[in-house]
Amino acid sequence: MEPLRPSTETDPNATSFVRFLVDAFDEATNGSRLFYALMIALTAIALVGAHAWANQVVLGMSVTGMTDHVSWGLYIANFTFGVGLAAGGVMMVIPAYLYHDEDMHEVVLVGEVLAIAAIVMCVMFVVADMGRPDRFWHLIPGIGRFNWPISMLTWDVVVLNGYLLINLHVVGYLVYQRWRGRPARPGVYLPFVFLSIAWAISIHTVTAFLYSGLGGRPFWNTALLAPRFLASAFVTGPAFLVLTLALVEKTLGFTVPKRAPELLVSIIRITSLVNLFMLGAEIFSEFYAGGSHVASARYLLFGLHGHHELVPWFWTALTLNVLAVVVLLTPALSARRPVLFTALAMTFVGVYLEKGMGLIVPGFIPSTLHEIVPYSPSLAEWQVTAGIWAVGMMIFTIGVRIVVHAQTGAMHADVGLGADRGGD
Amino acid sequence: MNEPTVGRRRALKVVGASLGAAAFARAVAPLTELTATTNAAEFLAKHYKELDADEIAAMIDRLEQETRTRYGAEVTIRDLKPAEDVQFAYALNLSVCIGCRRCAEACHVENNHDRKTHQSYIRVFEMEASSLDFENGNATYDHAVPAPGKFYMPVQCQQCENPPCTHVCPVEATWQEPDGIVVVDYNWCIGCRYCEAACPYHARRFNWSAPEVPAGEINPDQGLLSNRIRPQGVVEKCTFCLHRTREGRLPACLEACPTGARIFGNVLDESSEIRWVLENKRVFVLKEELGTRPRFFYFFDR
Amino acid sequence: MTVILIHVVALAACERERANDDRVVRSSVDPAQVTEIEIPESLRGLPVGPENPRGVAAVVPCATCHEVPDASVPLPTSARGLAGPHRGLRLEHGDLACGACHHPTDRDALRLADGRSIDLVEAMHLCAQCHGPQARAYRHGAHGGMRGHWDVREGPRTRNHCVSCHDPHEPAFGSFAPMPPPRDRFLPAGEAVPHE
Repeated sequence: MEPLRPSTETDPNATSFVRFLVDAFDEATNGSRLFYALMIALTAIALVGAHAWANQVVLGMSVTGMTDHVSWGLYIANFTFGVGLAAGGVMMVIPAYLYHDEDMHEVVLVGEVLAIAAIVMCVMFVVADMGRPDRFWHLIPGIGRFNWPISMLTWDVVVLNGYLLINLHVVGYLVYQRWRGRPARPGVYLPFVFLSIAWAISIHTVTAFLYSGLGGRPFWNTALLAPRFLASAFVTGPAFLVLTLALVEKTLGFTVPKRAPELLVSIIRITSLVNLFMLGAEIFSEFYAGGSHVASARYLLFGLHGHHELVPWFWTALTLNVLAVVVLLTPALSARRPVLFTALAMTFVGVYLEKGMGLIVPGFIPSTLHEIVPYSPSLAEWQVTAGIWAVGMMIFTIGVRIVVHAQTGAMHADVGLGADRGGD
Repeated sequence: MNEPTVGRRRALKVVGASLGAAAFARAVAPLTELTATTNAAEFLAKHYKELDADEIAAMIDRLEQETRTRYGAEVTIRDLKPAEDVQFAYALNLSVCIGCRRCAEACHVENNHDRKTHQSYIRVFEMEASSLDFENGNATYDHAVPAPGKFYMPVQCQQCENPPCTHVCPVEATWQEPDGIVVVDYNWCIGCRYCEAACPYHARRFNWSAPEVPAGEINPDQGLLSNRIRPQGVVEKCTFCLHRTREGRLPACLEACPTGARIFGNVLDESSEIRWVLENKRVFVLKEELGTRPRFFYFFDR
Repeated sequence: MTVILIHVVALAACERERANDDRVVRSSVDPAQVTEIEIPESLRGLPVGPENPRGVAAVVPCATCHEVPDASVPLPTSARGLAGPHRGLRLEHGDLACGACHHPTDRDALRLADGRSIDLVEAMHLCAQCHGPQARAYRHGAHGGMRGHWDVREGPRTRNHCVSCHDPHEPAFGSFAPMPPPRDRFLPAGEAVPHE
């Protein structure tokens, strides 16, 4: 089979970009058997999720475990966590561009791919949680009715889509230029890079404001919520990236500068401590004076009126986070990569539990009229959630492979499609 | 030789992608059932505030027809506009309410609620006589009423003057009408349930599935913004029975109350009953500290 | 129940008009409107049987047995001694005896505090003499409920008589079963919240 004609200098960007996309996707889907097995498994999970979601749309959200008392659950919990993950991807951008850290430049695009994959997941979780996804167009400004700036949800729509576009632009442009063998023009991407730093902060602040602005939900109505969100985002994002970089080095033969994960780990050292400190401050405020506003926190930590559903989850999350902090602060432990990676995975899971179900569900228990209606996700909810995570992982995998291939030069315009590049 | 390897790889990818696409189509196949319950007109329906009289009439025709086909009942849906110089308010006498729940039952019937879940906008709480704390409240009591040492507090939408629910709606599907009633455009709501999270009074309900109401039990006197049978996946709430009250009639819950604990009317009318209660009884509202300024007032006779 | 039309003077609220007020609202409880008060059967006589097919209850007017003013037979001091169709009547209205309300000689009448006799169906005036706060609230539509229209310019309204709900001999309410509790998916009915 003839390789496609390679791009030349005179090709217009429009056709060349299309060729780039085809080439990128083609190259990213070349891999080992393990890679194919992984992608097939993820596809299968995604299909299970799609089917569960289709059933939910037809039968109604009664297939979930949500009720009028606990009206948000697993989907919104994952959405909240996903926004944090997306914001955390920017953690590499700051040292790379603000502090001109050359080593970080090599890997910063991986963080932005994480942001893209996470935002896509967030949008999918929102759609999964909508009672009428067919009415999605009502949200489009100009065509629907967009209650901006009063509704915080509209701010979230704006900032999340904006963040997605910024990252798509930066990654797309830099990788495309690399593929073309042309230098990247700073004016085209650099302003967006700096914008993405502030924007990343904003996406998670706005998401926190969704909850902290509700006066009727005392568990959420705290000034500390936005700072807590950011601190935990800057734990999970970098943690995921460190683990990803290690995996990339192993599977794609790409040499990651040592300083990059080291810097990320030192960031996590600080942010995980800040995260724990803020949790402590929150717990003190809740429990010292007592009163009825502490009911949700009491339910989460100790159980309330005979209901203890979330107690083991909270203490598990706390244990995982504390153990991770201990490892990170003990050089003898954190110097050993397996221990370090375990700690990073532990804190990732810990924050997932604490910020996901450990934040959303207690906001509804007890209800505004002090009724306790427990919530546990139904099978359909788990299926949809797993499906969306699978899609996110697929996007992330493909995206990282594209970025790394462009970085290593394995993917190049002059080489042309279909030519054997050796290795994967 | 690299080309056969490449060609085989390419062929495998094409096969894989085709299989994936086919599998995806199978996975989401249930969505085709939606054609039975929705149509282009419903999908493209504009926001209530953008409809002129003709479009509202056409929408009402469509909705009545849909009720005919889906529920087998003839109904009349009207779009009653708010009257000028009317601001509704509601008062509830806690010394007289005995917790019989007839108001909740009347609401269930009047508003064509789902029978399976026995839904109602009103939730009656049995409270300790000495405390207004809902920590000591119980809505699921099932014994003879009134029980000694208790009083009863029905809670429904407070139609707040400063409603948190309307602020948070991303698509303006819920708003406060000039006469004070907070309404929902059931054709516009996207079902995100942010309003349900924002409400401090547990006043909102979501249609977790399509409501089931036997044809013979459907209340045919329906309002476009109130008790017409709501579709699946949208939020709804008490509307002070605006299909009745905007015609000067009493809400269903008030008529059903056997002890006369409920008082309703136009608070702008100086000689109205509700005005007398507000001026002569020591009324209070729930969660006043939240600044929602409810229109639903509670009082004790003693 | 037979409904007797009564012009409700008791609902008198003067029609107020302020010439200089832009938002003059015609009173929705204007006394010129007519509100119907449902008079319970027990004030028409003694119930002796079920309703006939036209919905008219079988009541025996008091005068049937008490035709002649019975000045020689004083009112009993308690309900225990009552015989005939009144046997078993319980009187538990505070510390009241029969003569507190009933006219001493005319069994078809009640006696106001100043001695004037009123017809049985006008019992509301007698109730109001002792139960002022409730009567005042009733006059202002805040007691006893109503059916029909909040805005009587738009349509009629029906109110209850005191005796519709309060048996004058045994006014205290008993307790009875409420409508069923809400059917929440994960909140069992009847479960009382245990207090810590």
